[in-house]
Amino acid sequence: MSSPFESYDDLEDADERLQAADPAERRVAIIALGHSGDPAAVAHLANMVADPDAGVRQQVAMALGEFDGPEAASALVKLLVDPERIVAAAAADSMAEFKDPACAEIILPLVKHAHAFVRMGALRALKELRCKDTLKPALEALQDTDAAVRVQAIGVIGFLKLEESIPALTALINDPDAHVRRAAVSALAFSQMKPAAETITRALKDADWMVREMAAETLGLNVNGAIAADQLVACLGDEFWQVRLKAIRSLGKMKIERAVRPIGNCVNHDQANLRKEAAAALGEIAHADGEAFLAVIADDPDPDVRKNARWALQQIAARKARAGA
Amino acid sequence: MPLASYQTSVPVVVDDAKCIADKGCTVCVDVCPLDVLRISDTTSKAYMAYDECWYCMPCEADCPTGAVTVNIPYLLR
Amino acid sequence: MALDQIVDGLSEVSCDVLVIGGGTAGPMAALKAKLKNPKANVVLLEKANVKRSGAISMGMDGLNNAVIPGYATPEQYTKEITIANDGIVDQKAVYKYAQNCFEIIEELDSFGIRFLKNENGDYAVKKVHHIGTYVLPMPNGETVKKALYRQLRRARILISNRYMATRLLKSSDGRIAGAISVNTRTAEMLVIKAKAVILCMGAAGRLGLPTSGYMFGTYENAANSGDGYAMAYHAGAALANLECFQINPLIKDYNGPACAYVAGPFGAYTANNEGSRFIECDYWSGQMMLEFYNELLSGKGPVFLQLKHLHPDTISEIESTLHKVERPTRGLFQQGRGVDYRSESIEMHISEIGFCSGHSASGVFVDDNARTTVPGLYAAGDMASVPHNYMLGAFTNGAVAGIDAMEFADNHDFAEFDAADVAMERDRVMAPTKREDGIPPNQIEYKTRRLVNDYLQPPKVTRKYQLGMRRLAEAREDMQERMIARNAHELLRALEVQSIMDCADMAAHASLYREESRWGLYHWRTDFPEKDNENWFCHTLLSKQDGKMTSDRRAVEPYVVPIADDEKDLYDKQRIRASA
Repeated sequence: MSSPFESYDDLEDADERLQAADPAERRVAIIALGHSGDPAAVAHLANMVADPDAGVRQQVAMALGEFDGPEAASALVKLLVDPERIVAAAAADSMAEFKDPACAEIILPLVKHAHAFVRMGALRALKELRCKDTLKPALEALQDTDAAVRVQAIGVIGFLKLEESIPALTALINDPDAHVRRAAVSALAFSQMKPAAETITRALKDADWMVREMAAETLGLNVNGAIAADQLVACLGDEFWQVRLKAIRSLGKMKIERAVRPIGNCVNHDQANLRKEAAAALGEIAHADGEAFLAVIADDPDPDVRKNARWALQQIAARKARAGA
Repeated sequence: MPLASYQTSVPVVVDDAKCIADKGCTVCVDVCPLDVLRISDTTSKAYMAYDECWYCMPCEADCPTGAVTVNIPYLLR
Repeated sequence: MALDQIVDGLSEVSCDVLVIGGGTAGPMAALKAKLKNPKANVVLLEKANVKRSGAISMGMDGLNNAVIPGYATPEQYTKEITIANDGIVDQKAVYKYAQNCFEIIEELDSFGIRFLKNENGDYAVKKVHHIGTYVLPMPNGETVKKALYRQLRRARILISNRYMATRLLKSSDGRIAGAISVNTRTAEMLVIKAKAVILCMGAAGRLGLPTSGYMFGTYENAANSGDGYAMAYHAGAALANLECFQINPLIKDYNGPACAYVAGPFGAYTANNEGSRFIECDYWSGQMMLEFYNELLSGKGPVFLQLKHLHPDTISEIESTLHKVERPTRGLFQQGRGVDYRSESIEMHISEIGFCSGHSASGVFVDDNARTTVPGLYAAGDMASVPHNYMLGAFTNGAVAGIDAMEFADNHDFAEFDAADVAMERDRVMAPTKREDGIPPNQIEYKTRRLVNDYLQPPKVTRKYQLGMRRLAEAREDMQERMIARNAHELLRALEVQSIMDCADMAAHASLYREESRWGLYHWRTDFPEKDNENWFCHTLLSKQDGKMTSDRRAVEPYVVPIADDEKDLYDKQRIRASA
């Protein structure tokens, strides 16, 4: 019987197999190298980035994703600029799994590449590397003509969590693309300072509902979020229940007592998700004025609404008892 | 008791023109959790030898040439 | 050569730690064992191929039970799990999981496994449950296995694919000595001597028969035929609370998750035919499944996952996960039926029964170090008794098992087993290949699983169980005396049927032992409809004693996270119905 274990001798005749005349045979050899897990395989794979067959180059891009570090990065950047989209897409996917910060300087030059897809792939890979040297090029990329590139640049900046990037992210609140504005609001969540909260507050009036939703949610994560209480209350009249829902949740988290009435007025909304959130928020605020509204939904047909209404009434009762004692 | 064979239409289909099993590829056969794919002795291409499929997709997702298609087994389609 | 022709053969290898099962817990256990002692030999044995085996073959679309600082605390999580399990929990293991799991998330992240992050790089944790916040989506979670595999290769774990373990070996003094396995393509046998063995063999998911009638259309990966439960049983290990079945709400016919944890954070919910929510219970539990079951049978059924109230852009976002990760053929299935989530809700049903502590509490008994009751034998993942541990629990407890097992191996020499045990097992394994005529495994399996549905599926009726056990005994006799396997692949199925049969017997035995109802639908006995805390606030342990199936009570360990009296029936309180 042959060995019952997977072999670790994958590299033995790799060079010979990689030179097979048939591209399919070269592919098979590349798959084996990718699975080998042997760092020495990277050098063999790197030799294949100029293979005349696009399918082979795609396979090389996928196989390199099994490795991390500058050597694999050097090979992948060549594949990211490949004229064939299947090759470039595979390279972008593989690069997105890098964790070794040493890859950053190899990927960085591509941030200025002529093709938007390349710039996007490079920025996406840089995000997880969280390398300070990438801040400046990422800030520059915020001016990119392609919105998808700007979104990835925001990620690079957001992951670095540096206060100095707040002005640049703030400027994006006026970006023409909604995805960019939404990403900028999400990135600003790293800052607990007032300027970030102020910027996000402005986004509550964005033309796009998903940006408003993100802003309403993100304010709940900022210790200074309460400065936006009035604007969040105004969001309770938003035409999208999704935005109202996040506003209610954030107001509840911040325990804004003057929001009790406007939140209470949401308990008759026909969307059960919203009634449920209103009940939960009234419980978190635990102000006695919430009781009357909660009484309306204590027998709501929706069990989740009932559950939250009853929990909220308990919270109010408990607070009253504490005050009495 | 004598045994009879039982007809069944198998969910996994392989495009012979794209399949490179004849060049030494065994990816789909390797990744199948139920071990139901084989390389044919006659065509040297991959095929579904046993109708015992969890329609889970690794064979299709991992095939380097896009030769494999997973369909939902007829009984639950 | 004929397809999967049987080759006669027997060989032996040895290692320090043997991990059986290369799905989720297994790779992590092997990795941690090897990192603990890089000089030691670690073998990872897998019935399929480690690259894509186990419950997370195509990845996972999210973590359901992530205890992440700032969102949930280990204390809060331990309380929730205790309450969801009607109090029958040894909290130490749950608490340990809750304390360790964030570190494991960070480690998985470093492997290149992608969790959803906000644009500021923080994990995008979502609130789904009423009380805690535990859900971390993985819209790019299809690469989990790929990332694990490269860690295994890097650590030079000895990986052995396409070997099905059939029995454990022990020394005369009861210590673990190794395992016997059989190659699923050649039927050659391999004995693996080991100082410690970790079982990570997944759920018993091929127990009940799916309503579609397609034997492999199970909720769990159909390769998870309960081999680990059967092996642990025959090795004399205790199995806990097997009567606490696994039953899940699923897409009808497709029989995979819908998945409420993916769509829930976006506002989707389970609704009845009137479009209203009906589930009173908050956390995934047998009580939730009972409410589901009742609604299906009421005039308000069928039950649906409702998304059509969501914005079309939101639905597209949900689809991009549902149709790519975990069970990617979900999209193909809906497409075939012309179902568009934007205009139509997804019809739901409940799954066939199984054992799986990943979702309920039925598993091989382990303590907080993943030790079973057999010295040197460990268990982790869906088959070990830490309740509700899901994928992250498999990783976290797999890590615990790997480290502790290597410590055991470092301090013990090989235990000696009796060669006669190997010879006897070889005869048992090969028996179906020696017969000229008989019944093929697929027919015995179909019948066994059909009997499980007919007689063992809740509600559990004593008289039905007695009849079911008689029918199962008849099927067992056919299996032992008449089953044939004409090639190595059929032998694999023949061996799996034997695990399925053992699990069916254990399910019946354990269910009859606990004379009360508990865990909602999972253990609803019509003859004992009430929860009886006075007599049954305990674990039940099933084991093989003197060759016979036996059940005993085991006290619940004192809680490490105290639960106040008013919290104990928290879930009952939540179930307060609307006033009539």
